[in-house]
Amino acid sequence: MTTRAELKARIEALIATFEAGQPVDAAARDGLIEDLAAWQARRIPEYGRLQRHGAWPPALPTDVFRFRRIAAHPEEEDLRVFRSSGTTSSERSIHVYCDLDLYDVSARAAARHMLFPDVDKMRLVILAPHEDEAPDSSLEYMLARFADWFGTECTWVWRRDALDLELLTERLRQAEASGDPVAVLGTSFAFVHAEDGLGEQRFELPPGSRVMQTGGYKGRSREVDPDILLAAIGARYGVAAPRIINEFGATELSSQMYETTLREELDGPLGPRRLWVPPWVRATPVDPDTLQPVQGETIGILRIDDTANLDSVCCIQTADLAQRLHDGIVVLGRAPGATPRGCSIAADQALGAQ
Amino acid sequence: MTDDASAVRARAASVLEAGALLSSSTIEERAHWLAEAATSLTHHAHEGRDALSEATGLSIPMIEWATRTTLGTMTENAMLALTQDARKAIDRAPDPIAMLSVILAGNVFTASVRGIVVPLLFGVPVLVKASSKETMFPAMLRDALRSADSRLGTAMSLVAFPGGDIEREAALVESAEAVSVYGSDETVSAMAARIGDIPLVAHGHGVSVAYCGAAALDDAHIESTIERLSLDICAYDQRGCLSPQLVYVEDTPHRSATDFAERLAERGLGPMSRTLPRGPLPVSVGAAQAQWRGIAEVEGALLRGDTFAVSIHAAEPIRWSPGFRNVTLVPVRGLDEALRAMQPIGANLKCVGADPASISAVQTRLARSPTLSAYACTLGAMQTPPLGAPADGHPIWHGLFRSPKTS
Repeated sequence: MTTRAELKARIEALIATFEAGQPVDAAARDGLIEDLAAWQARRIPEYGRLQRHGAWPPALPTDVFRFRRIAAHPEEEDLRVFRSSGTTSSERSIHVYCDLDLYDVSARAAARHMLFPDVDKMRLVILAPHEDEAPDSSLEYMLARFADWFGTECTWVWRRDALDLELLTERLRQAEASGDPVAVLGTSFAFVHAEDGLGEQRFELPPGSRVMQTGGYKGRSREVDPDILLAAIGARYGVAAPRIINEFGATELSSQMYETTLREELDGPLGPRRLWVPPWVRATPVDPDTLQPVQGETIGILRIDDTANLDSVCCIQTADLAQRLHDGIVVLGRAPGATPRGCSIAADQALGAQ
Repeated sequence: MTDDASAVRARAASVLEAGALLSSSTIEERAHWLAEAATSLTHHAHEGRDALSEATGLSIPMIEWATRTTLGTMTENAMLALTQDARKAIDRAPDPIAMLSVILAGNVFTASVRGIVVPLLFGVPVLVKASSKETMFPAMLRDALRSADSRLGTAMSLVAFPGGDIEREAALVESAEAVSVYGSDETVSAMAARIGDIPLVAHGHGVSVAYCGAAALDDAHIESTIERLSLDICAYDQRGCLSPQLVYVEDTPHRSATDFAERLAERGLGPMSRTLPRGPLPVSVGAAQAQWRGIAEVEGALLRGDTFAVSIHAAEPIRWSPGFRNVTLVPVRGLDEALRAMQPIGANLKCVGADPASISAVQTRLARSPTLSAYACTLGAMQTPPLGAPADGHPIWHGLFRSPKTS
């Protein structure tokens, strides 16, 4: 009988192999996903009820995290509870952890490889709340760890639910004056707030600087087309497009995916914008009827098998539309509503009415 | 096709003008012309079935079924009966409004028929804004009206432009004496805010449910029940507000909900997926479908077919499906429990389909309900309402006549 300790050791070994620059065997990863899924199905009744279709273990829909506690451990062992943003409880996914080791190992390895491959540490300016202000946010947790792992100094410019434009400006001007590169990290809506608040101010951040943006808007700012925001950030901060990197993460996941642009600028050649999938993760657009992988670059719905999700469910079915592109994935965004053509009550409305 | 504000205004003026000519005709003449138009449209829809299938996302057999059953309700006799019903109900000589503006939704392509034909029958000219998703069938209807009679044809005009365009929407409604809006609650609310004092006939968000009592599940009736219910679910790929999303099934010692679900899948939805195939699943709906099906498995039970799924789930919480032939069976102890479970749906509940043995009780209970205004019909007829069936708790002629105070 496989034990949790054995599974954890296998996951850590997989990530360590990658960190050591060694190729990760996809078959070993897939075998680990199988074993994880079997172990989790025995411990998590909700997951155990899902039927297998095709070659892979079943994937748990992300919506289940909105109304069920999905964990292989009892509640009293919860160490950390992450909740997605949202205004009502039924809109908020909950992901509980009894152990953050794998989250940390995974987050550090992915960010080191894609976001900070060329520097050990650098100045960080973070357009997001500090972990203390948002202890249930997985993003804020990750950014706080980034401060520990990758920051020489770190300034949090989103305070008390507002962007501190004065502090942001001060830190960016300091970077310009010192010539020390800076990493500006934040949510898309925070960058939009900055766009709206900074007026005519422009920055010319030192060479080596970079921007990481993540997440959607969820009503927290006006929505901006991704290409327009990319161009606006480039013009605002004086950072070349390859150094503006989108991160894809989710409350239901423990691993993150990053756009390939910075790595490709460093290593060449530069390909189309797409997300790099860590080798301990399997990200696959699937057919919505059969839930089997789609062929080629056909648009499907994104299934993510994240081995770092040890104590919840590894195989996750998101509601995001996605397609393969070269060796990566392009996420096309959340499907727009449950009943786009109908006059039926939207699923969210009904769920909200519980 | 997209029209600017001046074109919309010009169409409105010409429709308004045509109204005078239309009202000089008799009801009998209009019923005759409309019936002729229905026959002509049936023919043209058959000829254009490939294009309609492409435009609507429904399979060709479904297009054929939908046009046949919808246009089949437009008989002269049915229209004359409707006018008599209206006269009796309003208890005076009807005084038709000068013009109705209609905003159509795109989910059920034949929904335009009743929304356009009934006003014309009563002598009310109609300016129609087609859904940006589906302009083909309304255009075919317009052409059929024109071919039936020029007075009828000029009294209906079609415009198209993106929803939410304030200037063009203003042009659409400024000459109207009432506005009929089909669509989401957001669309209806937005229009209500913009049209000021013009009366609004709202056809907003809606869902429907079915009820199968114990008598419908016995050996003598089960096959018929499954056949009728399957048709209700499959029609229009369950995209309309008359499509049952929830089926309350009386759980009996003789027939469990699980047994009924298995039969529904194997003997009903499965075979119907071959005779009336589902259209292609839009990937955005597919994303919602994957979530819904997964939740159904986690919370209850799920039977999957190639292009359908049946879940068995408790009455609460209600989990609406994304349509496209994903239906929930809710085991109940009887009609009382089913009606209690429907209460939270309130005014959004449009139709309750019931087995023949239960229909009378369902009708009586709905008529007495202070919160539910749905109309009841027998299983198998949910998607084929007669021309005069009520809509959103009102008679189908609601909004077409001036009240005595304003006439």
